[in-house]
Amino acid sequence: MSIHPPDEVADVIVIGAGASGSVAVRELALAGLSVVCLEQGDWTRRSDFPGQRPEWELVAQQQWSADPNVRRASADYPVEVSDSEIDPLMYNAVGGSTVLYAANWVRFVPSDFRVRTLDQVADDWPLTYEDLQPYYERMDQDMGVSGLGGDPAYPPGAPPPLPPLPLGSIGRRGAQGMDQLGWHWWPGSNAIAARAYRGRSPCVRQGTCMTGCPHGAKASTDLTHWPEALSYGAKLVTGARVREITVDARGRASGALYIDRDGREHFQAASSVIVAANGVGTPRLLLNSKSKLFPDGLANHSGLVGRRLMMHPFAAVIGLYDDPLESWIGPAGQTIHSMQFYETDESRGFVRGAKWNILPTGGPLGVRWGFIGRPVAEQWGADFHRNVRRSMGHSFQWGVMGEDLPDEQNRVELDDVLTDSDAIPAPKVVYRSSANARAMMDFHVARVREAHAAAGAVETMTRTMRDCGWHLLGTARMGEDSRTSVVDQWGRAHDVPNLYVIDGSVFVTSSAVNPTATIMALALRCVEHLIEQRRDQASLT
Amino acid sequence: MTVSGRDDELRVRYAGLADVLIPAFDGMPSATQADVVTYWIDVVLALRTDLGPAFFEALEHAEGHPSEAVARLIDERPDAFSALGTLTAGAYFMNERVRELIEYPGQTTRDFVDELPLYLEMLERVDERGPIYRPTPDASHDGDME
Repeated sequence: MSIHPPDEVADVIVIGAGASGSVAVRELALAGLSVVCLEQGDWTRRSDFPGQRPEWELVAQQQWSADPNVRRASADYPVEVSDSEIDPLMYNAVGGSTVLYAANWVRFVPSDFRVRTLDQVADDWPLTYEDLQPYYERMDQDMGVSGLGGDPAYPPGAPPPLPPLPLGSIGRRGAQGMDQLGWHWWPGSNAIAARAYRGRSPCVRQGTCMTGCPHGAKASTDLTHWPEALSYGAKLVTGARVREITVDARGRASGALYIDRDGREHFQAASSVIVAANGVGTPRLLLNSKSKLFPDGLANHSGLVGRRLMMHPFAAVIGLYDDPLESWIGPAGQTIHSMQFYETDESRGFVRGAKWNILPTGGPLGVRWGFIGRPVAEQWGADFHRNVRRSMGHSFQWGVMGEDLPDEQNRVELDDVLTDSDAIPAPKVVYRSSANARAMMDFHVARVREAHAAAGAVETMTRTMRDCGWHLLGTARMGEDSRTSVVDQWGRAHDVPNLYVIDGSVFVTSSAVNPTATIMALALRCVEHLIEQRRDQASLT
Repeated sequence: MTVSGRDDELRVRYAGLADVLIPAFDGMPSATQADVVTYWIDVVLALRTDLGPAFFEALEHAEGHPSEAVARLIDERPDAFSALGTLTAGAYFMNERVRELIEYPGQTTRDFVDELPLYLEMLERVDERGPIYRPTPDASHDGDME
């Protein structure tokens, strides 16, 4: 393997072209900085998405799975999960996991930033909801969010730019149940365009969001950020798997060594390095970047790189209804959500809470999913037909996502044996759910069953899922103290002043909501600070 | 990797297994009546090549009466049985006549409709109950805040 000579020194390298990396690249290029993004995946063609084809549900389980260990595409790296209760999910491409995400666009609530102060567990963030609110509102505009302002689960603020997507029969039926009980619900907020928006097509409610949107209605950052970033002069290198971030004699980041898809190694020099490779990929890269100055991995003097991994526990409660509900219609996506039991009530026997949202149950293979786990005899024979008849078009799902509190034993480390196709050590995930999380999920599943019953469900089925690690958080946490955190509130590494981490790794706590809105708002806040700092330095010189 | 390219004995064996899993019932065709064995299974095997080896492992270890063979596979070769079930169900639902019978038109598209008037009254009751979030407890910052 030969190392090709470096290109010119970039002002900034961004590693990863997903949710946070896209934000950084666009802002840096817009500010006139030279920026090179190294992305191990490639562009995904919209025509490749399977949602309009009859085999959609069958290929969603493999080629379009969000699990890299199942999908096994050339851009993926394996993740050792034998010591984990949850499988981490991701998509390695331009746009990253936003290509396959459900586009639930949900903010943290104020208490999520003050968990220690309010509930005496975990830690407070080094910023508040009010600090982040302007960035949330700007990201709503950038992503073309559809929703309805005025949700009493949140402080007042600017409404999303687009009206809410239709609730459909399933959302309205679920809302009727919540109305009966006097419980909170609100039209779902989604990064899916209800109307044509900044070059994106309006949603046609096909309901195949999680295998990529064939219509270009869902806000994935290959659509929302990359065209603009490239027009400003950003350089994107696809098929570039970063092996190591290098450091100079002073311990400052000097660039990145990466391997192209022909196996050739390259070096890209830079004045600053931003890591945006998700809560598994980022600690993997930092731990792989060992040197004399950083024998335990880059920026790891705290020993916390890879520690405190949080992945939201998830349960799906499917209700079966006598009435036809067209329960394959999208978005999927969330039609409505509820924060009724989000905040702590210690009388329930646990702290923190969960968010609920309604999803369609999909086509015939999707509705059969609800019966998996039952005795095999009840899944086949005459019951095969009975189950499909009861559920196809007559069901919907309340998804329950619980807060996962940080635990240093839940972690990403390097596997001793497993490597990717470039012989780079692969990550190993070690993860156990807590007693608090189990009690929380039991409580919430019981309440969701009540919600289904109030809406008229004749039967409910509950599934907890192993393949629910959509949200990879906490493995390079932010904080003010370099002994107990990896980066500061601007994503700047305590140990390496020109190294930044801006993805979900920096989360202090996980909240109980889908994190992409917060990841991107934080990334915007961090990168704007970086740009301001550079301007200040330039003006001084 | 196809079923149609295999010998007659294997195809007959698969037909027996497929109809145990998906028999004719209350107006619905069986797997063989829905052309699963003669056509659709080869289509889905081409789509899910990852399951081919386990699927054929199931067929090769399914001697004897189909019902008994299915029971044996469930106990002794659960992964092979899982592949058999996934591909057979997937093949069955590829048949357009089957989709019509279960009233599934596929993932169709439709235009935007403003549904707010349909649920506004319910939503107003949520609004009337007031805020449910806990505000930030300390408005003043500490440390190196902006």
